[in-house]
Amino acid sequence: MPAKRKATDSGRSSSASKRPTPVPDATDISSSDEYSDPDDGDLPEEHNLKEVVSKFSLASFSKRSQVNKTDPRFGYKDLSSLPLKPDHYNRPLWIEPVKGTITLESFSPLAPQAQDFLTTIAEPLSRPTHLHEYRLTGHSLYAAVSTPLPESIRTFIIEFTKSYGKIKMVLRHNHYYVETTDPEMLQRLLKDEVIGPQRIESTEGIIERAAPKMGGLVIPGTKDAAGIRETGNQQEPAAALRDENQEQAMDYGIDDVGEDDNEEATTYSFEIPPAGVEVVKARCQAIGCPALEEYDFQGDTVNPNLDMDLKPAARIRSYQEKSLSKMFGNGRAKSGIIVLPCGAGKTLVGITAAATIKKGTIVLCTSSMSVVQWRNEFLRWTTIDPNDIAIFTSDHKEKFKRSTGIIVSTYSMVSQTRARSYDAQKMMDWLQSREWGMMILDEVHVVPASMFRKVTSAIAAQSKLGLTATLLREDDKIKDLNFLIGPKLYEANWMELAAQGHIAKVQCAEVWCPMTTEFYSEYLRESSRKQALLYIMNPRKFQACQFLIDFHEKRGDKIIVFSDNVYALERYALKLNKAYIYGGTPQNERMRILENFQHNEQVNTIFLSKIGDTSLDLPEATCLIQISSHYGSRRQEAQRLGRILRAKRRNDEGFNAFFYSLVSKDTSEMVYSAKRQAFLIDQGYAFKVITHLQGIDNFEGLSYATPAERRELLQEVMLQNESSADVEQVTDDLFSMRSAGKRGGKRPTAKRSAATLSGLAGGDDMAYIEYNKSKNKQLKDKGGHHPLFMKMRRQRERAAKERESAKP
Amino acid sequence: MPRAVRGLLIECDPSIKSMILKYDEERHDYIVEDLDDEHHLVIKESQLQGLKARLDQDLDEKIMQLDESESE
Repeated sequence: MPAKRKATDSGRSSSASKRPTPVPDATDISSSDEYSDPDDGDLPEEHNLKEVVSKFSLASFSKRSQVNKTDPRFGYKDLSSLPLKPDHYNRPLWIEPVKGTITLESFSPLAPQAQDFLTTIAEPLSRPTHLHEYRLTGHSLYAAVSTPLPESIRTFIIEFTKSYGKIKMVLRHNHYYVETTDPEMLQRLLKDEVIGPQRIESTEGIIERAAPKMGGLVIPGTKDAAGIRETGNQQEPAAALRDENQEQAMDYGIDDVGEDDNEEATTYSFEIPPAGVEVVKARCQAIGCPALEEYDFQGDTVNPNLDMDLKPAARIRSYQEKSLSKMFGNGRAKSGIIVLPCGAGKTLVGITAAATIKKGTIVLCTSSMSVVQWRNEFLRWTTIDPNDIAIFTSDHKEKFKRSTGIIVSTYSMVSQTRARSYDAQKMMDWLQSREWGMMILDEVHVVPASMFRKVTSAIAAQSKLGLTATLLREDDKIKDLNFLIGPKLYEANWMELAAQGHIAKVQCAEVWCPMTTEFYSEYLRESSRKQALLYIMNPRKFQACQFLIDFHEKRGDKIIVFSDNVYALERYALKLNKAYIYGGTPQNERMRILENFQHNEQVNTIFLSKIGDTSLDLPEATCLIQISSHYGSRRQEAQRLGRILRAKRRNDEGFNAFFYSLVSKDTSEMVYSAKRQAFLIDQGYAFKVITHLQGIDNFEGLSYATPAERRELLQEVMLQNESSADVEQVTDDLFSMRSAGKRGGKRPTAKRSAATLSGLAGGDDMAYIEYNKSKNKQLKDKGGHHPLFMKMRRQRERAAKERESAKP
Repeated sequence: MPRAVRGLLIECDPSIKSMILKYDEERHDYIVEDLDDEHHLVIKESQLQGLKARLDQDLDEKIMQLDESESE
């Protein structure tokens, strides 16, 4: 009866339409009038500015109440009735005067040039296929130059750039100084109520000294470096010439702004304590004259040079070169953060930066496993002497033999405040007594700000380079990084890298699994914590997971399944007979499982809990299925995607990696899922929504196919207490040595029941059988037996053979 | 003495069905017969309009909640 069907259908479809469509559809833009959609980009600014503004504010005012009535494709910005400028083809850019955002049509032939420029002066907000959005911020304008702009933006830029480069934070002989070329500015700073008291009085007051000279600089591994190698000596006089002619612009990026201060011969400075650095920096930012942290490493004669260079074979990619040129924009090393997607070679960027500076370098990473990886990468890409690179972890405490070198360590080693072992304390004192040329901070997003404060104040480094893939946190602590490390220097465009084949092309899909009636009834009744358990254990989701695993295993993919919920992880893995790793898995078992996953053709799927989110490097994985996740964490989503981003060897047409997110329909999981995807959608990824998996109905051996089985599962889930719905608390990552142990809690306990001895021994026709055998244990058996038994077996075999040969 | 009730067969999503089941638990005034586990129900014809309205309202509320939390 169609009428009734409609009743329920309408409820469903309205929920579907209210989910925002993830990306502007390609067909939409090409089928409608070529320029109709983005034409707000071509408004004649002068005439219509007021109109736009009023329309904008008015519309945004009433946005919430009207949200259902406007066309979702245009939202409240539907300005398609306005006439286009005649030359709108040549104007692919629009600057929004109120918010300071810039919208760019990336399909315009002029777009590539514009993009290069925009990434220099603005921060990318969102970069889907056809329209890119950027925003001007104070940080992004440090190096900006002025272009014809609306008045409000112009003043914004002038405001932020006029004081650029006036103040510098300088580290000299392990003391911090605030340096400026302008005596007036210095007076202003000293009178400031925050900065003034920070000054150390005992020093000789205001110090005058000659301004540093800038020399020619070449980043190794780039085209320029190759040019030098070819031309040999010819480059030498050229470099000298540059020395004399300060005004001459360098080849890299936009860098002229910082150079003016070289014209004056003297600088004025006063000393501040290391603890005051962050305060002063934040204050300088607040009064509108940001303090720069630049390291003139070529002019640094105090710290000994480190003999190292990139190997001739090492060739850095274009985007890596671009990011480094931002860092060394004017011949000095700026501090800041470089954002590259996972698997795009962040390590090499760090190494090249170290090889450019050629001073003592300290590298901090998140786990002892990545410490080893970093060291190996250094040895692989550079000509550094292995004795010059040392490791500082809980089991290795080395120093380099000669005057300078590279130390690789972890955040926790350096920031620890509890009692250390004697060795570690000695090592730490040594680290603190030295002055370092550069500090490389790997995965900066994961570390809490307080830890950074400890690290950055404990160790004196001339410049700091932060590396990350996802510069975002749900708790908005990311802003602190601007003061602790520096501004964002470069952010790569994920889509562009994927198109060029540097990272894998990923098909993202969201699979909507309907809740079964029983599960949904319980869902409606339960508290929110237990609700989570119900939608994760949804049998339809389980079936979808099973089906996808089977489908991709047949294609020859290696699959990782992620679940934040340990109870679900265990249930899924046992039922599907796959190996799984979570926080409680012993270290050696983890290693064995991962090795099997990488090299054993029988093991194509592993289940991982949250511990696999970061720093896990499994280049084999080509498919990722997510069954439960940490609420609306955008970072987790992006990090998990990063697990399959390494460029894949298999070169299928189109997509070569798959990312599935399984979501139970009509539950709060849908909301979280939409939230989580926001970051990736901004990077240009499109999420395909799958409501029905083709062929799942005819799938052989589908679990929970009968209502009886489902009810059994439901019963089991209902018996779980609330705590099993919680997400696993993880303090370490997959490779940390100090794992398990402490968080025992869930250790298997003995079960007692009364029975007769003869019964237990099998006298009463009782037999034992093991259900839900863990695949983890089966992998172990392949490892072989004890040597004694091996020997006995060999002897037995030999004896049998001898008997055999003796017979005839 | 047999009694005849005018019923209507409705087909719906499992989740919608469980919502109807929940309504019915209150006074048992909606459902005549629960036919299977997933999609089908027979309900009293007289209740159809009321049920429709109630479902619409509840679903709207749900979506409103989602919208709010999404915009945060």
